[in-house]
Amino acid sequence: MERIISRFVSELRKEGLRVSPGESLDAVCALALGNMANRESVRELLRLTLVKNVNDIPVFDEVFNHFFNSYPDGRGLNVANLLDESIFGVDGEQMLGTNPEMINENMTLANVDAGLRPEDLKDLVALKEIDMDQLDGSELDIQLKGYRGVMEAPRPSNRMPQGPITTAFKPPLMSQKRDITFSQREIEEMEDAVNRMLLRLKKDIRRIKNMENRGKIHVIRTIQKNYRNGMVPFLLALRRKRKQKPRLVVFCDVSFSVSHAAHFMLLLLHTLHNRMMDVRSFIFNAELAEITEMLTNTPINNMLDAIDSGDIVNLDDNSNYGKVFLKFKDKYFDNLRGKPAVIFLGDARNNFNKANEWVLEQLREKAGYMLWLTPEDRDLWKRGDCIIEKYGAYCDRVEEVKSVDELNLIVEDLFRNIYLEDEHRAMRSIKRVDDEDEYDYRDYYTRGKEQTPPRFDTEISRHW
Amino acid sequence: MTTQQDVKESLKRGGYIADEAIATAVFLALRMQKPILIEGPPGVGKTGLAKTLSQVLDFPLVRLQCYEGIDEGKALYDWEYGKQLLYTQMLRTQLDNQLSTATDLRDAVEKLASEESLFFSENFLVQRPVLRSFLSEKRSVLLIDEIDRSDDEFEALLLECLSDFQVSIPELGVLEAINKPLAILTSNGTRMISDALRRRCLYLYINYPDVEREVAIVRARFPEICDELAHQMVGFLRKARDLNLRKPPSVSETLDWAEVLSILHIDKLTPEVVANTVGVISKHQADLEKVEELATEELGQ
Repeated sequence: MERIISRFVSELRKEGLRVSPGESLDAVCALALGNMANRESVRELLRLTLVKNVNDIPVFDEVFNHFFNSYPDGRGLNVANLLDESIFGVDGEQMLGTNPEMINENMTLANVDAGLRPEDLKDLVALKEIDMDQLDGSELDIQLKGYRGVMEAPRPSNRMPQGPITTAFKPPLMSQKRDITFSQREIEEMEDAVNRMLLRLKKDIRRIKNMENRGKIHVIRTIQKNYRNGMVPFLLALRRKRKQKPRLVVFCDVSFSVSHAAHFMLLLLHTLHNRMMDVRSFIFNAELAEITEMLTNTPINNMLDAIDSGDIVNLDDNSNYGKVFLKFKDKYFDNLRGKPAVIFLGDARNNFNKANEWVLEQLREKAGYMLWLTPEDRDLWKRGDCIIEKYGAYCDRVEEVKSVDELNLIVEDLFRNIYLEDEHRAMRSIKRVDDEDEYDYRDYYTRGKEQTPPRFDTEISRHW
Repeated sequence: MTTQQDVKESLKRGGYIADEAIATAVFLALRMQKPILIEGPPGVGKTGLAKTLSQVLDFPLVRLQCYEGIDEGKALYDWEYGKQLLYTQMLRTQLDNQLSTATDLRDAVEKLASEESLFFSENFLVQRPVLRSFLSEKRSVLLIDEIDRSDDEFEALLLECLSDFQVSIPELGVLEAINKPLAILTSNGTRMISDALRRRCLYLYINYPDVEREVAIVRARFPEICDELAHQMVGFLRKARDLNLRKPPSVSETLDWAEVLSILHIDKLTPEVVANTVGVISKHQADLEKVEELATEELGQ
């Protein structure tokens, strides 16, 4: 039985499930304890012990079906049958002439032979296995499939999100109609990816937060916290700065050349918005429009529809970065606050219009960080009407993004930067938001006089 | 309980209709003394399983509700500082007597140190749920509810407890469980539980039950609901689950609805009945309309 299980486990591993030796032991143990009357109960026993993630259950079922169906004589053997058969082998003389099928039906491991040693069983099972290797059509398939698995080495948790998002990111053929709406699944996957990203970030941020502000004691809180200890400060309450949400300003080019990347950027922002930070989002082509409100209030697909039908900005124009920047300066520059991080997503193909890069120079003074993302290869940057070098000179970083994974990584990186940045900025900034603001110190002394402390505490404090 | 079938039947006596997977999981958990980690959508009976188990096995239920920021002081044990202080004060004279015999300072310190263990003894230890279930006289059911709400640190804290059933207290040493509890962890999947914790548990995923099981659940809880109505209800709710609602109705909603219908003495579903009781099944304003639409479509004729 141990052999079979370890073979089964290695099949599972080839398919990308992570099964530890401890879990295989559990499985063996469970099979010994549990009732292996039929195929389904064996499946349950193995599944409970070997699979630890709901996403892996379909893979497990597939492997289980293949593995236990591919035994040579085509009767669809399973572990229970196999064990019974091996017992039949041991007790062959005694049961000679009995129809093996019948035996399989009405006996279980326990009541057949108490004297049977596990070692006997193992040998017999091993014999059985050699048979299996020599064959056979379907078995070969699995083997092949197994090797494929080795080549690709998929990790089960990555398996799902990798597929559709990346493929959808590829630019469509020119002749194809643009199909932009996301399926429910894609949105869910995006949320999943973002969730995981947030989790990773959260840890980092918590660590940073824990490192800062250590050692400053918040006197009033400490006293309150130690009320039940008779005001003896066993537990300290430390002062902590209240964190401002990081701010982000995003520009998305929605002209045809970059629209696919833009859509995913928007989806990403849509998921991130309000959970981690304040985002102001703009889309532009030849004109500029703010879509922050829409991002919060409308379902993502409706919004993309609106963008694509040209309701927000006219899609027939060619993108004009210079004009857009100029407009941004006129209209939004004044209410840009809090040193936001600015992200541009676009190919910087200005269609030979005026560049107006001086706006970026001014923007740089207001922004904490500037990042330019382009879907184009670095080789193409100098060709044609692309003026990314001109704009890029004002940015802290210029990156090419080709897939959602890359996009995720870059945004994650950016967050770390913003948060770390924030630390430094808080140091030199004039207005700092502290926890102290919550408290009104003016009546502190009078408050103390009005209240008579409870008797229990006076007792103790006198002694101390 | 010696077989899965036994488990199934005794759960049924407690009013919990279990399927093969659930019964097997409980059976293995009892025999192998391993915790069960249960995942699944809200309201399919994850917590209910633990409650029923404690009832049918006659194990006391010790419940630990997780939340963000829960720590060992809330889950495992804590020292009663206040009591320690109070005792120090009250025993002051005693201590003075003890120390008055001391010849010099060194001697006094040694005498005091020899009494130190008194103040870090189990007298001053507050048992929080995990430790309480470990040290209880009778074997208990330890329910760690919604573990996904807690932080990673707390999860790590549980690893020792759940794999070896022991709690290490620096001042006292290792406290081993007297009776290993039947530990049940539930999660709604809002956060991924770490692999380390998963490896120490049996993993059970409870999904929405199939029609027959759900009907059986309704009938077990509310025998006055006739078979036909139960089928109608369950069929309707299953369709509602496919509607892509914000909060799909789960088994707990099915039971609530069954209760409402039995109070109102209704024996057949009509669009009007659904419209009157829709608040029981759907909990979002946007969902209400969709459910009512479905009712007119399905039950209209």
